[in-house]
Amino acid sequence: MDKKRSNKLVNFVTNPKYIMVLATIGIFLAIYLFGAIIYGDKGFTKLRTFAMLFVDNAYIGISAVGMTMVLITGGIDLSVAAVASLTGMFIAYGTTVLGIDPIVCMVFSIVVGVALGLGMGALVTYLKIPPFVATLTGMFLARGVCSLISRDSISIDNELIDKMAGWKMYFMTLKDGEWVKIKPVAYVNLSVLMFIVMIIIGTYILQKTRFGRNVYAIGGNEQSARLMGLPVDRTKMMVYGFNGFCSALAGIAYALYVKSGWNLALQGGELDVISAAVIGGVLLSGGVGYMIGTFFGVLLKAVIPCLITFNGTLSSWWGKIITGALVLLFVALQQIVMHGNLFKKKKGNPAVKKE
Amino acid sequence: MKSKESIFKNKLTWAVIAELLILAVAGILEPSFFSIEYNQTTGMLYGSLVDIVNRSAEITIIAMGMTMVIALGGTDISVGALVAVAGAFALKFLRWDVTLYPTPGDYTVYPFILVIVVPLVICTLMGLFNGVLIGKFKLQPIIATLILMVAGRGIAQIATNGKQFTTGYTPYRFIGQGSMFALPFPIIITIVVCACVMIFVRKTAFGTFVESVGVNPNASRVTGLKSDRIIMIVYTLTGFLSGIAGLIYSSRISSCDSNNAGVNYEMDAILAVVLGGTSMTGGKFSLTGTIIGSLIIRTITTLVYYFGITSESIMAFKAAIILVVIVIQSEPFGKWLATRNARKQKAGELRG
Repeated sequence: MDKKRSNKLVNFVTNPKYIMVLATIGIFLAIYLFGAIIYGDKGFTKLRTFAMLFVDNAYIGISAVGMTMVLITGGIDLSVAAVASLTGMFIAYGTTVLGIDPIVCMVFSIVVGVALGLGMGALVTYLKIPPFVATLTGMFLARGVCSLISRDSISIDNELIDKMAGWKMYFMTLKDGEWVKIKPVAYVNLSVLMFIVMIIIGTYILQKTRFGRNVYAIGGNEQSARLMGLPVDRTKMMVYGFNGFCSALAGIAYALYVKSGWNLALQGGELDVISAAVIGGVLLSGGVGYMIGTFFGVLLKAVIPCLITFNGTLSSWWGKIITGALVLLFVALQQIVMHGNLFKKKKGNPAVKKE
Repeated sequence: MKSKESIFKNKLTWAVIAELLILAVAGILEPSFFSIEYNQTTGMLYGSLVDIVNRSAEITIIAMGMTMVIALGGTDISVGALVAVAGAFALKFLRWDVTLYPTPGDYTVYPFILVIVVPLVICTLMGLFNGVLIGKFKLQPIIATLILMVAGRGIAQIATNGKQFTTGYTPYRFIGQGSMFALPFPIIITIVVCACVMIFVRKTAFGTFVESVGVNPNASRVTGLKSDRIIMIVYTLTGFLSGIAGLIYSSRISSCDSNNAGVNYEMDAILAVVLGGTSMTGGKFSLTGTIIGSLIIRTITTLVYYFGITSESIMAFKAAIILVVIVIQSEPFGKWLATRNARKQKAGELRG
C-alpha cells in the first residue's frame, strides 16, 4: 500500500506535465529559503515582505494570466504592455483632463483592450499572420495612440481612483481578544485581489471548461484539433480577446499602483510577462502550461529584485541578468523534458507502453 | 524579357514605388526636401536625403542580418540590447579610469583598435550564443533571443557601472560623425557592410542554403546541408552587425546609454525586412528590399517630423503601414486576390 502510494508520488513528480511547474515552485521555495537564511534578521521572512511581492507585481501577474492562455495555444502577444500603458493613459487623461467618471474610463479601456485583442486575434486566425508580427503591430498601434493622446506623464487626480488605490486589506492578528494589525504592517490591495481572482478564473477556465480543453488541444496540434472538429478559429479569437481584457485589467492595476498615465510606461513590460510565464513552465511551442505555474513564475521573478534590494550592495542590473539566466535554465529544462530521453524510458509510463 | 505582370508581382517593385510615393509627398509638402548642399568647411554634403540615408545606417546594417534570420523562419529580438552592449564596452575601453580622466576629452586609455575590436568580439560571441541555443539546442528563436534581450542591457549597465560615459576622442567620434568622399561616414560603413554581406550571400551558395533551411530545415538536413551550422552562422553574423550598429550609434552621440541605446531597434529591423518583401514565414529573402525597407522607415520618420508630430507617435504610423503590408503579404489575401483575378480573366475571356 505504502509502496503504491510512493510510486504514485514518483509518477506525479516525474510526469513531464507537472515537472516544469514543480521545478518553478521548488526553485521559488529554494530562493525564498536562501533569502530567509541570509537576510532573515533584516526582515526577509516577515509577512510584509511577502505581501509586497504581490503588491509590486500584481499588474504583471494579471497580464500573465492572459499571456499564459495565448502561449498555450502556441501564440505570443507582444502588445500587452502597450495596451496596459494605453489603459493607464485613458484613465489618467479621461479622469484628470476631461473629467470623466473613472468607472466609465475603466469600462472604455477594457472595451478597447478586448477590441484590440480581438483585432490581433483576427489577424492571427483568419489572415494566418504570425502572432509575433500581428501583435507587434498591435503594440506599435497602442503605443502610438498613447503618444498621440499625450507625451507627458499625467498624474491622476480623482477621488474615486485615490480611494481605490488607497484601499488596503491589512493582515490582522488576534491579540488579547482584539484584532490588531500585525507589525510591521502587511497588506494587500485591490490589484493583488484582482491578480488572485484572475489566477483562479484562469485555472478554472483552463482546467474545468470545454473551452480550456480546446485551448490545450489547439496548442498541442492545431491541425489535429481542426480535424477533430473543435472550434479552432473561435477559440483562438476568444483567447486573444481574453488576453486583451487581461492587459486592460493589468493597465488598471498599474494605473492604481503608480496613479499616473505615461506613454512610455511599462516599456519592455511584455517581456517581463512572457518571461514570467516561461519561468512558470509554460511551453512556448504550445500545449503545455498551468496557471499555478505562471503564478509562481511571477513570484519567482519578483523575489529576485527583492533579494538584490536586501543585499544592498549589488547593482540592480543583476536582476536582469539573473532573470535572463532563469529563462535560459527553464527553457533548457523544457527542452530536456520534452525532447530528451530523461523520462521516456520509464517503465510505468503508459505513453511509452503503447508504442 | 520580364513581362509587365511579373514586375508588378515582384515585392521589390512595390517597396520602391512606396518609397518614391513617400518622397513625392515629402517633396510636395516641403520643396526644399530634395536640396543638397555642400559645406566647404566640413567637406560634407547636407540635406534631408543625405540625412535619411545617414540616419538609417544602424537599422540597415542590423536588418541585413535580420533578413537572413527571418528567412530562416526565426526572429532576433536581442539586437537592440546588443547595440547597447557594443556602446557600453567601447566607452568602457575609451575611459577605463575615471579618476585619471575626470572630464571627457580627446584621449583614450586603450589603443583605438581595442576599443573597436573588443565590443565587436563581445557582440559576435553573444550572436554565437543565440545561434548555439537556436541551432544546436533547437530553442524557439523568440525565447532564445529574449534571454539576451533581457540580460544584455544588464550586462551593458554593469560594464559601465550604470553610468553614462561621454567621450571626446576624435577617431572614435569619426565613426558616427566624420565624413569621407563628402558623405557622412556611417553611409560609407553601410555601403561597405551591405556590399560584403551581399557578396558573401549571393556570390556563394550561402544564400541558397539559408532559403533552403528556411523553407524546410528537415529536408535540408536530409539533402546534406548542415542546417544547425547555417543557423549558427546567421545569428552570429547578426550579432556582429548589431555590434557595428552599436559603435555607430554610440559614436554619433559620443556617449553610451545602456538604457536607451537601441530601444525598439529589433522592431524597426523586423519592419524593414518585412517592408522589403521578405516573408515572415521564412524562405526567400531580398537584401536589396531590406535596404529600401529601412529607407522607407527613415523617410516616414523624417516626414512625420515635418508635420510636427512627436517622435513617439510615429509608432502609430508604423503600425498602420505594417498592417497594410502584412495583410497584402498574408496567404489568405493572396489566394483571394488570385481567385478574383482568375474570375476577372475568365469573365474577360467569355466577353472576348
